Amino acid sequence: MTAAAELYEPKLGALPTLTGTPTHYCAGCEHGTLTRLIAKAIDELGVRERTVMVSSVGCSVLAHEYLNVDAVQAPHGRAPAVMAGIKRVRPDLLTFAVQGDGDAVSIGLLELLNAANRGEPITVFLVNNAIYGMTGGQMAPTTPSGMVTTTTPAGRDPVTTGPPIDATRLVAAFESPAYVKRVFLPILPTPSPRVFNARGALEGAKAVRHAFEVQQRGGFAFVEFVSTCSVNWKLGILEAKRYAAEVLRPLFPPGLYRDRFAVEGR
Amino acid sequence: MSDVREFLKGNEALAYGALRTGLNAYFAYPITPSSEIPETLATEFARSTFPDFRTFLQAASELEAINMVIGAAATGAKAMTATSGPGFSLKQEGLSYAAGMELPLLVVDVNRAGPGLGNLGPEQTDYFQATRGGGHGGYPTLVLAPSSVPEMASFPALGFDLAFAYRTPVILLADAFLGQLKEDLVFPDVPSPSYDVAWAATGARGEARHVLSSLHLELADQSRHSRHLLDKRTRIAQREQRAEEVGTEDAEIVFVAYGICARLARRAVRILRSRSIRAGLLRPITLAPFPERRVRQLIEQGRRKFLVVELNAGQMVDDVRLAAGGAANVELLGEMGGLLPSSLDLVRAAEAMAR
Amino acid sequence: MPPDPPTAPARFHVVVDAERCKGCDMCVVVCPQRNLRLVGEFNRAGYHPVEFRFHGERGDCTGCGLCYWVCPDFAIAEVGALRP
Repeated sequence: MTAAAELYEPKLGALPTLTGTPTHYCAGCEHGTLTRLIAKAIDELGVRERTVMVSSVGCSVLAHEYLNVDAVQAPHGRAPAVMAGIKRVRPDLLTFAVQGDGDAVSIGLLELLNAANRGEPITVFLVNNAIYGMTGGQMAPTTPSGMVTTTTPAGRDPVTTGPPIDATRLVAAFESPAYVKRVFLPILPTPSPRVFNARGALEGAKAVRHAFEVQQRGGFAFVEFVSTCSVNWKLGILEAKRYAAEVLRPLFPPGLYRDRFAVEGR
Repeated sequence: MSDVREFLKGNEALAYGALRTGLNAYFAYPITPSSEIPETLATEFARSTFPDFRTFLQAASELEAINMVIGAAATGAKAMTATSGPGFSLKQEGLSYAAGMELPLLVVDVNRAGPGLGNLGPEQTDYFQATRGGGHGGYPTLVLAPSSVPEMASFPALGFDLAFAYRTPVILLADAFLGQLKEDLVFPDVPSPSYDVAWAATGARGEARHVLSSLHLELADQSRHSRHLLDKRTRIAQREQRAEEVGTEDAEIVFVAYGICARLARRAVRILRSRSIRAGLLRPITLAPFPERRVRQLIEQGRRKFLVVELNAGQMVDDVRLAAGGAANVELLGEMGGLLPSSLDLVRAAEAMAR
Repeated sequence: MPPDPPTAPARFHVVVDAERCKGCDMCVVVCPQRNLRLVGEFNRAGYHPVEFRFHGERGDCTGCGLCYWVCPDFAIAEVGALRP
C-alpha cells in the first residue's frame, strides 16, 4: 500500500466473501465480474454464514475457489437439483449456482426448468456467453446462427442445429418463478471507440441482490447475464464487447421478465 | 408399536425401516418394481407420522432425484432414493460424484430383468454395476443384500450407519422378488442415531468453510484423493465383510447365494441333508466388500465345492473364484429373464456336483 | 511511466493490485475521467497491468467505482475517499 493510499478511506474494497485467490478466467471475462457482484451482495445481506453455493461444470467449475462460502459440487447441468435437495432439508440456507449456457440450457435444461416450475427457493445465475468456453469453443444452445465455433466451422446453421435457445423466456414461460431478469453484463460500446459504459455491471449488482432477496422470500430467482468469450469467439476483448452488443443484445434482450415480489423499485 | 406383527411387501417394509431409523429426505422417481417405496413414503410424509422425515419430493427424472439426494446429504441429512435396473444406470453419475465428494447416502436398487427395458421380474444382473462402481472413475463401493422382508426393513439402518461411518454412498441391492414379496415381520426397536456431520456444507463460520467437491485439477491432489479413497476401500474390506452361514461347518458342497436365491438355497440345503448330502450355504450380506475372507477360511477348513446360484450369467461367481484362487471347484447355476430356478433345480445341480 | 504525482490531494484514489491485473482494458475504457491506463511493463503473469493516475485526461477521479465494478480480476482493489 502506497503512502498516498493511507490518506484515503476505502469506499469500495476487499470483501469478506472473496477468498482473494486469483481467478483462472481469461482476461476480460464477465465470470470474474459476476464473482465480485455475488460476493458484494452476500456481504451486504450478511448471509455468508448460511450460504451454500453449488458449483456447476464449465468455466464456473472453480467459482468456489473465489467465493469464500461453503460449496457443493454438482455434476454437469444438475446444479438446480442439488440446490433443491439442499433447500428442501435446510430452508434456512441461501443457495445459488453460477451456470454456463451449456450447463443450464443444454445438458441441464430438465433440471433448470423443473426447478423453475416447482418454484424452488433457489437462485440460478446463468452466464450466457453463447459458446462452450471451458471445453474450447464448441457450439452452445445459445450460439447465434452463423457463429463459427469448433463444431460449426461453417457457422451455426439453424436448419440442422436449431436456432439459439432463449433461456430467460423459457423460464418466464412457467408461472412459478418469482424473479426472472436478463442483464447485458459486458461493458457497452458508445459511438466513441475508446469509451464504454458500465451500466451492465451496476444493473447486475442490483439483480444479484434482488435474486437473493427473492430467495429469502421463498421464490425461484433466475438471472441471465449475457456475456462474452473473446478467446473462443477469437476476437479482441473490446471487439468481443462490440460483437455482444451488436449480435447478442438484440437476440437476448435485457429486461425484467418477472418480479412477483416487486423487489425492483422498492 | 414395535410388538405389532405386520404383513408387508419388501418395498413397504424398506420404506418403514428407513423412516424408523430417522430418514430425513426421500427423492423419488417412479419405476416398477420399486414404486411402493416412494408411495409408502409419500403417504407417511402426508401423515407427518415421523418427525425426522422433513422432505418427500417426486423428481422429474432419476438424475434429478439422485442429485437432490446429493444436495440433502451435503448438509448432513439422512437422504435416500430407490430405483430399479434402468433407473440404476442413471444413478451412476450421481454415485460417482457422491463417492468422490465423500457423501453418505443410500440408494436402493430393486433389480429387475434386463438389459434395456427388460421386464419386471427379478434378476441380479446389476451386481457388477453395484459392486464394481458403475460410475466413472475409481471409488469405494458398499453394497448390502437383504434376503427377506424383515431384512428389507432393517438394512436401511445398517446402510446409514455404514454410509456415515465411512462417508460414502451405500447401495441396498434387492431384487424384484424381494420388493414384491409379502412376509410378516416385527419391526425391531432401532434408535435414530445422530451422526457426526462436522464436514457438512451448512454455511461457513469464520475462517473454516466446507467445500465438498470432487474436482482436483492438480494431478498430485487427485492422486492423493484417489489414494485416500483406496485406503477407505481397504478399511471397508477389512472391517465390513458380512455373511450368514448355514451348515458350512461340515458341508461337502456349499451354496453361495444372496437375496432371493439364498432363500432357495436354504431350502435346497434342507432337502439335500435329508438325502444325506451335507450341503451348506454361505450367504453374503455385503456384496461389496465381498466376504472373500470367509470363502478362503472355508477352503482352509476343507470345503472344496462351491455352487454359486445367482440370477445372471455369472457375476458374483467371479468374486467366489477370485477368493478361491483355484483352490476349490466353483460352479454356477444361473437363471435370467425374470425366472427363478426351483429349489429342486438347486438340489439336482448340487447332487451332480457332489458326485 | 510513473503516475503523475498529485499536486494537491485528489478527493478519490483507486488502489490497483497490479499483480492480479490481466490488462483487459475494461476499466480503462469505462473510466469517465481517463484516470486509468495500461503500462508498458509486464507483471509477473506477463500482462501489462493498469495503473491509476490521480489527475486523468478529463479531471480527477470522482470515486464513481465503475472500474471496481467491471474489473473481473479484483485488481481494482479499492476505491478510497480522502479522509477528512
